[in-house]
Amino acid sequence: MENGDGIVSGSDAGGRKVEVFEEKVVKDSNGVRDDVEEEVFEEAVGTGAVGDSPRAEDFEEAIEVLDDAGKSKEEEEEEEEEEESVENGGGQVENAVGGDGVDGGAGTRGVDVEELNASKGLADEELVGALEDAIKDGSEDGADGQVAVLTGENPVDQVQCENHDSKSNGLMNDELLDAANQGIDGDGEIPMLTNMDEVDVTPVEVAENEKSEKDKLDNSDLEVVPTGEKLENEGANLDSTRVTEFNMEDLKEAGTDDQDKRIVDLVDTSVGTTIKLEGDKGVELQERKMEPEHTECESTDSKDAMFLTEARQVHNKIEELRATFTCTDAEDQDSIKLKSASSVLDSEHDVETSELKDIPSEQQLSGVEPVASEMAGSAFCRSPTTDEKEKVQAGDTDSRSENIKDDEPTRADEVARVVSNNGSVPEEPEKRENNHVEKGSNRMNRVQEAQHTPAHGSSGNSTNTTPIPARPAGLGRAAPLLEPVPRAIQQPRVNGTVSHAQNQQIDDPVNGEVEESDETREKLQMIRVKFLRLAHRLGQTPHNVVVAQVLYRLGLAEQLHGRSGGRVGAFSFDRASAMAEQLEASGNEPLDFSCTIMVLGKSGVGKSATINSIFDEVKFNTDAFQMGTKKVQDVVGTVQGIKVRVIDTPGLLPSWSDQRQNEKILLAAKRFIKKTPPDIVLYLDRLDMQSRDSSDMPLLRTITEIFGATIWFNAIVVLTHAASAPPEGPNGAPSSYDIFVTQRSHVVQQAIRQAAGDMRLMNPISLVENHSACRTNRAGQRVLPNGQVWKPHLLLLSFASKILAEANALLKLQDSPPGRTFAPRSRAPPLPFLLSSLLVSKPQLKLPEDQFGDEDGADDDLDESSDSEDESEFDELPPFKRLTKAQVEILSKAQKKAYFDELEYREKLFMKKQLKEEKKRRKFMKKMAAAAKDLPTDYGETVEEESASAASVPVAMPDLPLPASFDSDNPTHRYRYLDSSNQWLVRPVLETHGWDHDVGYEGINAERLFVLNGNIPLSFSGQVTKDKKDANVQMELASSVKHGEGKASSVGLEMQTVGKDLAYTFRGDTRFSNFRKNKASAGGSVTLLGDALSVGLKIEDKFIPHKRFQLVMIGGAMTARGDVAYGGSLEAQLRDKDHPLGRSLSTLGLSVMDWHGDLAIGGNLQTQIPVGRHTNLIARANLNNRGAGQVSIRLNSSEQLQIALIGLIPLLRKLFTYPE
Amino acid sequence: MASQIIREWLGINSFAPATQTKLFELLGKLNQENVNSLTILVMGKGGVGKSSTVNSLIGERAVSISPFQSEGSRAVMVSRSRAGFTLNIIDTPGLIEGGYINDMALNNIKNFLLNKTIDVLLYVDRLDAYRVDNLDREVVKTITDTFGKGIWNRALVVLTHAQLSPPDGLPYDEFVSKRSEALLKAVRLGAGLRKQEVKGSTIPVVLVENSGRCNKNENDEKVLPNGTAWIPHVVQTITEVFLGGSKSIFVDQKVIDGPNPNARGKFLIPVLVALQYFFVVKPIERRIRIDSARESRPSWEMRDTSSRKY
Repeated sequence: MENGDGIVSGSDAGGRKVEVFEEKVVKDSNGVRDDVEEEVFEEAVGTGAVGDSPRAEDFEEAIEVLDDAGKSKEEEEEEEEEEESVENGGGQVENAVGGDGVDGGAGTRGVDVEELNASKGLADEELVGALEDAIKDGSEDGADGQVAVLTGENPVDQVQCENHDSKSNGLMNDELLDAANQGIDGDGEIPMLTNMDEVDVTPVEVAENEKSEKDKLDNSDLEVVPTGEKLENEGANLDSTRVTEFNMEDLKEAGTDDQDKRIVDLVDTSVGTTIKLEGDKGVELQERKMEPEHTECESTDSKDAMFLTEARQVHNKIEELRATFTCTDAEDQDSIKLKSASSVLDSEHDVETSELKDIPSEQQLSGVEPVASEMAGSAFCRSPTTDEKEKVQAGDTDSRSENIKDDEPTRADEVARVVSNNGSVPEEPEKRENNHVEKGSNRMNRVQEAQHTPAHGSSGNSTNTTPIPARPAGLGRAAPLLEPVPRAIQQPRVNGTVSHAQNQQIDDPVNGEVEESDETREKLQMIRVKFLRLAHRLGQTPHNVVVAQVLYRLGLAEQLHGRSGGRVGAFSFDRASAMAEQLEASGNEPLDFSCTIMVLGKSGVGKSATINSIFDEVKFNTDAFQMGTKKVQDVVGTVQGIKVRVIDTPGLLPSWSDQRQNEKILLAAKRFIKKTPPDIVLYLDRLDMQSRDSSDMPLLRTITEIFGATIWFNAIVVLTHAASAPPEGPNGAPSSYDIFVTQRSHVVQQAIRQAAGDMRLMNPISLVENHSACRTNRAGQRVLPNGQVWKPHLLLLSFASKILAEANALLKLQDSPPGRTFAPRSRAPPLPFLLSSLLVSKPQLKLPEDQFGDEDGADDDLDESSDSEDESEFDELPPFKRLTKAQVEILSKAQKKAYFDELEYREKLFMKKQLKEEKKRRKFMKKMAAAAKDLPTDYGETVEEESASAASVPVAMPDLPLPASFDSDNPTHRYRYLDSSNQWLVRPVLETHGWDHDVGYEGINAERLFVLNGNIPLSFSGQVTKDKKDANVQMELASSVKHGEGKASSVGLEMQTVGKDLAYTFRGDTRFSNFRKNKASAGGSVTLLGDALSVGLKIEDKFIPHKRFQLVMIGGAMTARGDVAYGGSLEAQLRDKDHPLGRSLSTLGLSVMDWHGDLAIGGNLQTQIPVGRHTNLIARANLNNRGAGQVSIRLNSSEQLQIALIGLIPLLRKLFTYPE
Repeated sequence: MASQIIREWLGINSFAPATQTKLFELLGKLNQENVNSLTILVMGKGGVGKSSTVNSLIGERAVSISPFQSEGSRAVMVSRSRAGFTLNIIDTPGLIEGGYINDMALNNIKNFLLNKTIDVLLYVDRLDAYRVDNLDREVVKTITDTFGKGIWNRALVVLTHAQLSPPDGLPYDEFVSKRSEALLKAVRLGAGLRKQEVKGSTIPVVLVENSGRCNKNENDEKVLPNGTAWIPHVVQTITEVFLGGSKSIFVDQKVIDGPNPNARGKFLIPVLVALQYFFVVKPIERRIRIDSARESRPSWEMRDTSSRKY
């Protein structure tokens, strides 16, 4: 406060920051608001992108900043002392600062403890100072309180989480300051502001710090960082909401944000939080009374995840949630009442179930446990921590509410209430606390306090929401805020019964919905528990980046999986953590986990030595100068009670000339692992060997060849000799250890990427030091120069991959039956494609005798009817003699014209006559055939013989066309073939548009037409093509039966490749020609594509009102998995006067397709008009409803050769313009 | 490469006084032998510390080093003169690339060495690499193929990264001797030397620690874990090898081109021709003659000839 000026600038910066964040939030929320669930994934991606920037910052910087952060805290502390609002807080804060020293990941334990203490102190301070003093003094003190909270919270949570929290808090402060300038004297605020600013900076860096420490889980870091930002955003938003009323929208956004984040993070599967958020939304709706129910509904979802045994807890949570809601409404007195009612209910609950108390407390504890576990797992320690956290929260919320008061006169009432202690929301909790304290039961006390906190949250649902997000990164630990659950315990009694009823209501739907996916969840939960236990045994806290990452992934998997079945349980992490804790504490519960690790690497890098280190005993003899391991062998042992099997392999050699040897070794290894494949592969290399000349390439390639590239997807790169000092850089100064490690890792990873041919590979790196002189910590564990205890880390990485594999297997297994709803979306059958193939009207299959009918029977009839007129016209013509070419030359123009007209006319008549004769012949044939059926069979035989003998001499089929350009390699000549009398028609399929010099022979085609029973045609055609990329099969079996006059049914079975799947289609349709001019047909088809079955129906009507005009209308629908596509088409055709001969033809086609609400309409028009004798004009146009269309006009002429000269125009133009 | 200017050897002043005196002693010894220049060739695999060794010997940052990047494929000569004595050290790029001998690097080195005399070869490897594999052998073989076996008479094996605590609790000296033994064996195998071909039966092995973290003794000399001040020791060994009496290797075009395969076995050509003539051509001719003499003429030909008589 003294140094106002300098700091003001800082505050400005802070303000700016806040703005930025808000913007971001808005952006995010926009995308998300519509359909939060749908977009979860995309959101996640988005956040990832956001996270990039902070991540890019330098590691060293981070460290520095860390120091700064420590300082800032100290400053705060000092300020606080000055203000003297807090007496004992200062000292404790110091502790916190000391703990904050944050000396890399290693020291975390101790730090945590200290921090906890600090937080405790802070909490006290808050309760005492912040609540009372702040209330009286106004926003200034309130701000202080927040700061205190800040410091307090930081230590308690995981480093990252804390930071986020603090950030958000800081932001809030900033805003508060901005907004509350009026009522507050600037001095107090400004210092705070500066603090906040500094604090703001730290979180990101700290996160990075951690990141760099654990190089492996880059991803997780990524996620973490963004979440942090989001949190900040939320915080900012929420604050603003509180401060200024216009914020409803903001809140909503924040809410959505929260959801997103949480969904993204999934780690804790924080249904509860989501619910709260939604509650927030509800607030926006301003139907405050409605809200609680809302939340409850959603909470049902959350319940899904829970075990039945824990139903009680669930109740509590729900109630608590509701309470929070009510709290949010705190402004409304009504809501307060409501809350009280609910609380009453809660309290009832408590009394009823003796265990209840314990459980809630446990729950709280569970959240805290990770931290606690670090602290030797003494229950004593745990409980205090929880208390403190809660208190801190309480303080936080209180102070905020105060701020609000200052800002807004409207809320002043509330504040006043608070001050007066007359049943105002914030006070209640305190009272209760006191009471409980008096009772003297520590536990109760704690629990209650915790419960209070939520109540306090009243002014800010926001408070609750903000902190929760902090955790999402999966880092573990439920933020204390979540804990409020137990609050249900005490609380009012008025409306208790009502709320109870509500709870029950809630429960029921939950159970119903959840059941199916319950089992999966259960299993997943068990996996989670298992992993937590593993981590616990390895002495890793859930804060560990690896652990966090795995939890996150598990959560993600669960989320994806459970998408259909409702939201994932919010508290699964807590529960898992609690359960793991219990199981580990009891100690007699065997851990069902074993891991097989295979070790690969160059000779002499220390494979056997590493194995020995893992087991802490000499399992294999090692020799520095000799090949220690001669054959593939395995060893089974236990590490921390976990069964581990390690397969040791002989060393590989780097030289190309040794690759044969390597292959032998690797093949031996492959045989060895056939029965029991390893869960994880360690690829060992030395950290201190700079293989910058890619000398490991041959070796890596060989590994890839033998085991396949997939081996790298499950591989961890282990760098041995990790204690060696980094080399000197170009300037002579030794590079820092971390940079050294990073660079070396990068080199190895890059090499592996190259060898595996997959640039996305990012193998986790683990460091190992087997040297007996390696530095050890007090517990005798070997410690790397960067402070990392490598063994647990290595094991944890290995186990993590196994765990994830287990989870994957579980979810995959489950996917098929219940995941059905999910799967179709990913692989929906291409309905439009299937539909359009259904809608194509297929001509009826005919008997060989009928084959030559150019059109269906009806046409014949029509033609016949018209035939009689010009019956023998041709014959009646006078004799005519064709002129020779020379004679034609002599003729005059008019004569020529007359001659050609005459000629044309005669040609036409002649063709007509021929057609007619052909028809007659066919009719006769039909009659004969009919007669033949009646006659004894021998006649039929002779007929067949005749027909067979007709084509008995094989004839060469026409050559395939030669390509337009000269190509000596053209293979067409190789594929001459004969048309034999064989009923099977087999032809090569030649792709002429292939590559140059390509053998265009890509497939084979076989066809045959059978006749069953003498009158049922059955056609078979199949084609198999295979080119360099893919193979296609297409087969069709079709048959048709005529039954009765004008009725025919056809059936077909098709098989063809669609994409990578085979599609089997069975279709059938029946045609009725009920009127001469109308033919209707109806059909259906069933297609099996992959595992999707689509069913389609179609109706077709062909209407021939006139000989020249016909209209075909087809409508159909196709459905698969609840997805329906509708389609229809209309085709009109106008033909030439004398149809078979004339060339004029116009068609109009319209097609409509509706799928997924996507309407596609397309139309096309085609006309062919003869112009003059030798010229044809073809016009074509099409247009669809997307506005895309095409018009083409084509003129064919064999008369005016000069037209072809037009084609020269572009060429000439090119020629003449080019010189310029 | 010609751009190398001979500079005053200032780096020698950066050594500890004790080291300096020893070095000057050695230089004086060389001067007594009427030697005024000494050329040292440094070769070895990539990343073992060749350039660092050069820098350490010169006492200044003459060659750029970077721990993670390859130094390119060019050789560099550093020349320093002091009191009328010129020390040339030729630093070369790593010979291994992707599991193979890097022919481009090798050619570059050869061309660089054209018309230079190599007095001493430093073959550099790491002390803390435990295993010797085919790559080492190939490197040695390449050197031998290029310069001939004689080069090994003027060679030192330099083991870098000498400051280490040996694994498995081995005593330092034992570790060193084992490692050098293994490496020397590889050298012998790679060079195709029989034991007696190497003068003094072994190639001397010296240890080097280039890191700034190298321990120092009370005289501020860099010392190895076994207490030796290594820089004087290395220089001394170099002088010993140099004065050992064997011939320096002069790199001329012939050395660079390697043995001309066309020239090999040329003297056999006349012998082979003679052999062919007497044992291939002659017998075949004889057999043809016999065969044609034995030929039975078809009757119609006989008739033809006979009818023509009429």
